[in-house]
Amino acid sequence: MRLLSLQVRDFRNLSQVSLAPSEHATIAVGQNGQGKTNLLEALYLLATLKPLRAGRLSELVRWGTQSARVVGRFLLKGAEREIAVEVGGGVRQAFVDGKKAASLEDYFGGVSVVAFTPDDLEVVKGGPDARRTFLDRAVFNRFPAYLKESREYGRALKNRNRLLRAGPVEPAYLEAYDETLARAGARVYVRRRALMAELGPRARATFEAIGRTPEPAAYGYHPAHLGEVDFATADEATLAGALREALATRTRRDGERGFTSVGPHVDDVTVTLGKRSARAYASQGQQRALVLGWKIAEIENLEAALGFLPLLLLDDVSSELDPERNAYLMNYLSASGAQVFLTTTDGSLVRGAAAEDSLWLGVRAGEVTSAGAVLESSSV
Amino acid sequence: MTPDPLNRLVAQLAKLPGIGEKTAQRLAFHILRAPGEYAAELSQAIREVKEKVHLCTRCFSLTDTELCGFCRDSKRDERTLCVVETFADLMALERTREFKGRYHVLHGVLSPLDGVGPEQLRIKELLERLGDGRVEELILATNPDVEGEATALYLTRLLKPMGLRVSRIAQGLPMGGDLEYADQATLAKALSARREL
Ligand SMILES: Nc1ncnc2c1ncn2[C@@H]1O[C@H](COP(=O)(O)OP(=O)(O)OP(=O)(O)O)[C@@H](O)[C@H]1O
Ligand SMILES: [Mg+2]
Ligand SMILES: [Zn+2]
Repeated sequence: MRLLSLQVRDFRNLSQVSLAPSEHATIAVGQNGQGKTNLLEALYLLATLKPLRAGRLSELVRWGTQSARVVGRFLLKGAEREIAVEVGGGVRQAFVDGKKAASLEDYFGGVSVVAFTPDDLEVVKGGPDARRTFLDRAVFNRFPAYLKESREYGRALKNRNRLLRAGPVEPAYLEAYDETLARAGARVYVRRRALMAELGPRARATFEAIGRTPEPAAYGYHPAHLGEVDFATADEATLAGALREALATRTRRDGERGFTSVGPHVDDVTVTLGKRSARAYASQGQQRALVLGWKIAEIENLEAALGFLPLLLLDDVSSELDPERNAYLMNYLSASGAQVFLTTTDGSLVRGAAAEDSLWLGVRAGEVTSAGAVLESSSV
Repeated sequence: MTPDPLNRLVAQLAKLPGIGEKTAQRLAFHILRAPGEYAAELSQAIREVKEKVHLCTRCFSLTDTELCGFCRDSKRDERTLCVVETFADLMALERTREFKGRYHVLHGVLSPLDGVGPEQLRIKELLERLGDGRVEELILATNPDVEGEATALYLTRLLKPMGLRVSRIAQGLPMGGDLEYADQATLAKALSARREL
């Protein structure tokens, strides 16, 4: 999979951008607040139809204009496809080769992207919400069906919470929603478990290769409050049964709080270093290395599963890593052969990922220009 | 200046789902220019649909007599009852010409988010209907989404203790539908519910 060209119109502060990215590294350099992240955000939207930074779709449309548009020509499984996304009036519409794309899923099958931002680097020490989002992004990438499955879970959860807040209802009514929630939840468990089974060992090995920390890392996902069930081996029906039980035993308390207190929506990812919680004990550098290990593992894992490398978007990550770990990442990127987009305020930080064929861009006040002549004497 | 009666017709037509202002105008001109009694027949048909069509007092499908055609048809098997969300779903099942039992239309699904509970659906009427002991099997044909599933599970909880056979329509890939076009969650479900041949 490869992005051949990219056009952006009225997306955040980017009024008009047109570029032909490098087969390998495309590097956007610019001062703070110039539009570097916006460029990656446009690409992320194109590939996933989801906003990269939380918030409303309307934020993506350039101030004073009606709609934003991002168009990319991709080489997908030997064929060139044009994918376009328009955002306007609070909704977005995707087009594949000029035709409205009916479902997200058709679209997801082809394009795959892994984004890596400074926020991700904080995920170990941050709250469980951020870690769940981090995990779920990886699950979506690996299992496209998860998008719909997790939405179903979310819908069942909202319904059950509403029912709890409605005060005492007929037991059979609540039980019906408990069962629906338990089945949808078991699906989410199984997906997350499958991802972690693939990813955990890879991430651990990558962390070891990054070096400088003798203790072994471990990445795990263990549902909270699920009772006696053996999570590693239980089948989906057993997990659904365990979740239904857990829901039933908490009905009273949940009813008082108006909130469902067990299920995939309250679970956490655990990251440990030498068997101790990394959140509580690891240094900031170690925490970031743990995330780096995860991210590289995610890329490798997707490559193994898809048969091709995903598109990589790295937003200003280098400035947050110490030189040695940054060098590791840059070497990995250049050795992987992946198509990668990097942003930075300081070109020298990402030189390790650059090569002869890199495209250097300058970003200034929403204008994106080829900066080859300035930064790379050999090219342009 | 277009005449007011024409404006009124356009305004009414434009309220219909899927009809925009332009289409409403086209339809209005069409009605105006149509030969013969078309306009009179159309207005009569519209009036009658409101005056004469109501819910069947037994199964709550639509009818212009007290009991609907499905409830009156003595060739239909009264031991099997198919429970559907809407009259449109009933029509879809009828088009298969496979089902020879009777129906019960719930007029919705249990949806706390939309404020729809058991009292808002024709569930009490369903239970009353079962009182005479003639129905032996129920087929729950609500949609395979969150609310449809929850409704089917709720009904199962009420009906099973009454000694009735309760089944749920199977879900998976549509026949004749291309695998290629199925969404991934449906395909995943179909894969995990595969059967040996
Ligand atoms: N909808 C919008 N319309 C116009 N401008 C916008 C819109 N949304 C954000 N901006 C502007 O975009 C700029 C931020 O761009 P961006 O986040 O890409 O910066 P950056 O180059 O990544 O900077 P940093 O190095 O600080 O991360 C801000 O000046 C902001 O005001
Ligand atoms: Mg930025
Ligand atoms: Zn009837």
